[in-house]
Amino acid sequence: MNYSSELIKGTLKTIILKLLKDNSRMYGYEITQKVKDLTAGKIQLTEGALYPTLHALEADGILTTETEYIGKRVRKYYSLSSEGNKVSDEKVNEFADFINTMKFLLDIKTGIA
Amino acid sequence: MYTLSDTQIDFILNDIRRNGVELEDLRSNLLDHICCIIEQNLEDNGDFEQFYFSTRKMFYKHHLKEIEEETISLMTYKNYYMMKKIMIISGIVSVALMTIGIVLKFQHWPGAGACIVLGVSIISLVFLPLMFLLKIKEQNQLKDKALTGLGTLSAICLTLGVLFKVMHWPGANMLSIIALAFLMFLYLPVYFFSGIRNPDTKTNTIVNAVLIITACGLILTLVRSPQGTKIMEAQITADYLMMDNILKTELILLNKHAATDPLLADSSAEKVFTMCEKMKEEIIFIETGKKKIDPNLNTSQQMIGLTDFHQIIADYPSVSTVYEALKIAAKDYNMKYTKEGLGIHRIDIESPNDKDYKTYDALNRLVKLQLFLLQNERQKE
Repeated sequence: MNYSSELIKGTLKTIILKLLKDNSRMYGYEITQKVKDLTAGKIQLTEGALYPTLHALEADGILTTETEYIGKRVRKYYSLSSEGNKVSDEKVNEFADFINTMKFLLDIKTGIA
Repeated sequence: MYTLSDTQIDFILNDIRRNGVELEDLRSNLLDHICCIIEQNLEDNGDFEQFYFSTRKMFYKHHLKEIEEETISLMTYKNYYMMKKIMIISGIVSVALMTIGIVLKFQHWPGAGACIVLGVSIISLVFLPLMFLLKIKEQNQLKDKALTGLGTLSAICLTLGVLFKVMHWPGANMLSIIALAFLMFLYLPVYFFSGIRNPDTKTNTIVNAVLIITACGLILTLVRSPQGTKIMEAQITADYLMMDNILKTELILLNKHAATDPLLADSSAEKVFTMCEKMKEEIIFIETGKKKIDPNLNTSQQMIGLTDFHQIIADYPSVSTVYEALKIAAKDYNMKYTKEGLGIHRIDIESPNDKDYKTYDALNRLVKLQLFLLQNERQKE
């Protein structure tokens, strides 16, 4: 099962920030592959959503970048800025809280507590 | 694992560029991404072009440019919040600065001018332009945008005009006139007639129009009318003539008493007296075009204007040189008589550091100074 793009869109920032927190620095393709691996293919980030968000986060000062030349092409590595570290924690906590609220709101019974 | 050749990489890069991705950063990101996918998934003997185009297709719904459009919109959306933040902060800062400045001004404490200048500058050059930029983002029609622009422009001219006026900088009246003319004859009619037609905005339009007219009216009531200026000039000229007449009479009376001309007897007093006379002539010449004022004001219409004294000192070397010489002469005079302990008052010529100090203030002070000299001579008798 693949999740709807609306669900992914709302959580994309949180996913990126958490991944960068755990992996220090990553490039775009690496992020999509990592997410695919970790979720067994259930979440597949689209390039059309990933790159605009990465660029916006960079412009916001949440991400810093370094570039490396791979032969003829340039690879841009993203990592968290010191502010990004804070934002990452905030986003993850906010989402955890959100899940609890949604569980209650939608009356979802978790099988095994 | 497939190995891409340099030509193939150039091919991909050119294709991305051709498809309208203009941000270089984004282009290199996409290039690397596509290359990674191809290297990971295409077999060694696979069809590069076919695989590339099918990969590219997964990046968008309609065309590749979507990614760039989304990036730009996300980034400007960020700017929007930043601009809003700066606008609010600049607004608060400038209001705070102006409040502090006004308190300092009323208390005659230092720093008032700096606070007011900074406050008004921030509101005119940061707050109002940002407000304009944010406002036109919400407006779709060109007419609305133009109206907002016109309103902002007149507001900026008005605030700067008041600032220039208070600081005695040149161009204050011009700025205020432009602002009021824009506001009353361009902005207000367009605003009023476009707003009144729409039932939703009718009441608001009327209320705002009344407020704008009231504000402009209040500003104009504070401005002296040309007629008022004339009356005021006639008044100060007549006052000056009266003072000068008293001086002349005093001089005659003093000369009557003494055998010789007492002023001429004391060289330092005479020097100050002549310098004063000379300076008066120079100022009157600048103000009226003649060295002496015709006592018959009604026919001559020769009036002393409302020029700032420090302006004349800065603009006319003829006045400033005499002024400097007068200062030295006065210093000599004071040195002489303070030492002798005759109890003669010190002569103070320096104009107070007051920006509203006009030429007629200086003229009157000069006459008073001369009267003072005469009085001192009588005391010595």
